[in-house]
Amino acid sequence: MTDGFTITVDGKPVAAQPGETVLRACQRAGISIPTLCDDKRLDPAGACRACLVEVEGQRRLQPSCAWNAVPNQVVKTQVTSPRVQKHQDLLVSLYMADHKLDDSGLPVETCNGNDLRAWATQCRPVALEPVEAPRAARPGDKNPYIQFNPELCVLCARCTRYCDEIEAVNAITLTGRGSETTIGTAGMRGLLDTTCELCGGCIDTCPTGALVEKKAIEFLPHHIERKVRTTCNYCGVGCQMDLNVARVDGVEKVVRVTSPPPGETVNDGNLCIKGRFAYDFIHHKDRITEPMIRKADGRLHAVSWDEALKFAAEGMNRVKQRHGPGALGFISSARCTGEENFLMGKVARAAFKTGNIHSCAAT
Amino acid sequence: MKSFGAGVMSNSIPEIRDLDFLFIIGSNTTEAHPIIAMEMKVARQRGARMVIADPRKIWLCDYADMHLQLRPGTDVWLINAMAQAIIDAGLVDKDFIEKHTEGWPELRANLAKFKLPEAERVTGVPAELIKAAAIEYATTRKAAIYYTLGITEHAHGTDNIFSLANLVMMTGHLGVPFGGLNSLRGQNNVQGATDAGATPLYYTGFQPAGDPANRAKFEAAWQTDLPAGVGKNLNEIMKGVEDGSVRALYVMGEDILISEPNTNHLEHGVKALEFLIHQDIFMNETTKYAHVVFPGASFAEKDGVFTNTDRRVQRVRRAVNPPGNARPDWQILCDFARAAGYAMPHYRNAGEVYAEIASLAPRYAGISHERLDATPMGIQWPCTGPDHEGTQYMHKGGPVKGKGTFIVTNYRPPVELPDEEYPYNLATGRVLYHYNAGTQTRRDSGTMAKVGECFVEVHEEDAAKLGVADGDKVKVVSRRGGVYAKVWVSGRVQKGNVWMPLHFTEAAINKLTVDVGDPLAGTAEYKVCAVNLIPVRGGKAAPAEAELEAVRHPHG
Repeated sequence: MTDGFTITVDGKPVAAQPGETVLRACQRAGISIPTLCDDKRLDPAGACRACLVEVEGQRRLQPSCAWNAVPNQVVKTQVTSPRVQKHQDLLVSLYMADHKLDDSGLPVETCNGNDLRAWATQCRPVALEPVEAPRAARPGDKNPYIQFNPELCVLCARCTRYCDEIEAVNAITLTGRGSETTIGTAGMRGLLDTTCELCGGCIDTCPTGALVEKKAIEFLPHHIERKVRTTCNYCGVGCQMDLNVARVDGVEKVVRVTSPPPGETVNDGNLCIKGRFAYDFIHHKDRITEPMIRKADGRLHAVSWDEALKFAAEGMNRVKQRHGPGALGFISSARCTGEENFLMGKVARAAFKTGNIHSCAAT
Repeated sequence: MKSFGAGVMSNSIPEIRDLDFLFIIGSNTTEAHPIIAMEMKVARQRGARMVIADPRKIWLCDYADMHLQLRPGTDVWLINAMAQAIIDAGLVDKDFIEKHTEGWPELRANLAKFKLPEAERVTGVPAELIKAAAIEYATTRKAAIYYTLGITEHAHGTDNIFSLANLVMMTGHLGVPFGGLNSLRGQNNVQGATDAGATPLYYTGFQPAGDPANRAKFEAAWQTDLPAGVGKNLNEIMKGVEDGSVRALYVMGEDILISEPNTNHLEHGVKALEFLIHQDIFMNETTKYAHVVFPGASFAEKDGVFTNTDRRVQRVRRAVNPPGNARPDWQILCDFARAAGYAMPHYRNAGEVYAEIASLAPRYAGISHERLDATPMGIQWPCTGPDHEGTQYMHKGGPVKGKGTFIVTNYRPPVELPDEEYPYNLATGRVLYHYNAGTQTRRDSGTMAKVGECFVEVHEEDAAKLGVADGDKVKVVSRRGGVYAKVWVSGRVQKGNVWMPLHFTEAAINKLTVDVGDPLAGTAEYKVCAVNLIPVRGGKAAPAEAELEAVRHPHG
């Protein structure tokens, strides 16, 4: 915190850093400013205009997401500036005129939450004539993971900027003009026929739930019982992820994977196709569910744990007695936990007196 | 690691985006470590320069400033020529060399023979590119090197790493943030498995198994006598299975008949085992020969820790129950040990197992499940006490082992080179959409929609010579076996080279590869072997099983 300085927001001192925006300084101080197009991972776009504030000395309201804090700056948010509040009331009304509303007249709650709804509840929207938006989806898109609902899109361009700035594949883009502007691809092809790597980061960054996980739609939003933070089991990056658990036919299952907020974990809220979507194996019908031993008929038979453990222990001890501990090998797994690898080493060395213990490779 | 004391990623993932120069060698980062590739692309967009050394035109090349497209297996030549170019330009860090290293005169003398014109002839990379990359690396302060299996899965894999370590030390890119030598580990817990002591060389926490003092320490803790010396490594165990000196195996979470090289030969050995325990979440080729099958738990069904590629220990948490009577693997191991007559403690949870690890290994002494639960970023070892915050980058103030050692390396050609009968170099690797043997990703609709079957990348001139086009079926044969694949004229491989993914069980690619291991690490030469391609006329969608069997066992 070298070179830090102070700005004044709604009459109170707020600490800021050189190069930091007004929005970031306010967020750190717990001051709430509505945003739609802001994502810490992306360059400021100033696109949605929700975060406008009054900056002393500036004639116009300024986007706090793209306005740098400077020493002795004086800023007013909607809390102390009627002008900012009036701007917000009108702006949210314009968004709502072009958005799907529920029976209470608010933007609908969606599978992935809706920041527009949360913001609208903080404002006094005026009723405007609804816009007949002809915004289109990609009807022929057969990709199995990512669904786009154009009627929930506010064109904040977080998804397209994420695709450009973070994933850097530019599969999706803003396309069309005026009220027909939508999120499209080159030639409106399905995602499988583009450079898209199906990382799903667009779903994660979307503020209004216009992008959603196809596989999880039936469980959202109300059937998720809890989210469990864990470490991905694929490559060595160690991404943190949240397993979403729902009850399916009386059994708790992982029905969706979401990413933690940006800035909190080693993966900065990013996941790849495997981490975010390739979880079907967990509840796959091919899982081994019973201990088994090979009997005299040469086939594997399901048995109790006690019988399987006894059979296994006798088998290994028999070979050890016959050929010595050097004739045993213990192959541990880089897919298993640290504790399990430790225990495999302990089983080999302490229980069977052999140093033939190694882990590997690929499954 | 012999060069400077730890064979791990010296620096951290969050440093990547603030780098000014990245040298990526033998790492198809976008497909093998997608999230690290994202960080690299962010660095690139922030103005960093990126140099890639890879025989293939990998995805990341689209973002790179230079692509050194070397011939497969010529890495030592390329790296040593870069080192010599740095010497010629007078850009070595004399201060670092003097303070922190030994063996410089010998290395410098040996490097003299790696001249640029000869390097161009051997590697196929223009001398000017090699020189430019070398000088940029040497003159950029925030410059880091990333590598992975692309250069380690060779019979000369350790030579490649030693050569890189020399490059890092001679330019002083060690012991600083935004630098270092960074091995991107391939599997979720490959680092953690070695850390925990699932290796013949070390007890938990890299404490040498051959040292009697360590043995005494663990005998006291585990209240039993332990074997003296060092046991067999994986390659040696597998050789033992083949020659009959290993008679029983306990295999947890691996399909040795898919992942090990030259699997044709191994299969006979596994069949002849007197006893085989296989513990996994899915049946696989190894299960076919198991006497006992223990149903384990997936990562979503148990507690514990994984250690990632930048030494970051992070929690794994149980979200759901294992299916049927399957159980967390740590509980199975404890029950098995007790059934076999060893008094394994009755741990109440995985956290108690971790507490035992921390009590035995100084470098994890400050880590516990409780502390990890309060630390969303995880804790990077070494972490020696409850107040130690972990280690973002290693070798601060000098290499961990005291003085870094320059190790002289020389070029050795790959074990098997193309000839008339087998005219193509085969390399193997991963694609983004699948993971290893595919037991998990091949059970998902989307990953299969992107890449659904085995393919072989072929250069367009070779394809024309063979008379094959995109989508045609070919039989890829080596001296050890053959598999079927679809041709992809990708524009990514060099003439005379072909590339195949390793994820497809029915095309078990390790039937082709050489089981000659690196003499030091025991790592198999998965990356280079000689093959031929035989077009399959009639374009059958899938060959009959009998036909495949004939290919697998050509001699009956």
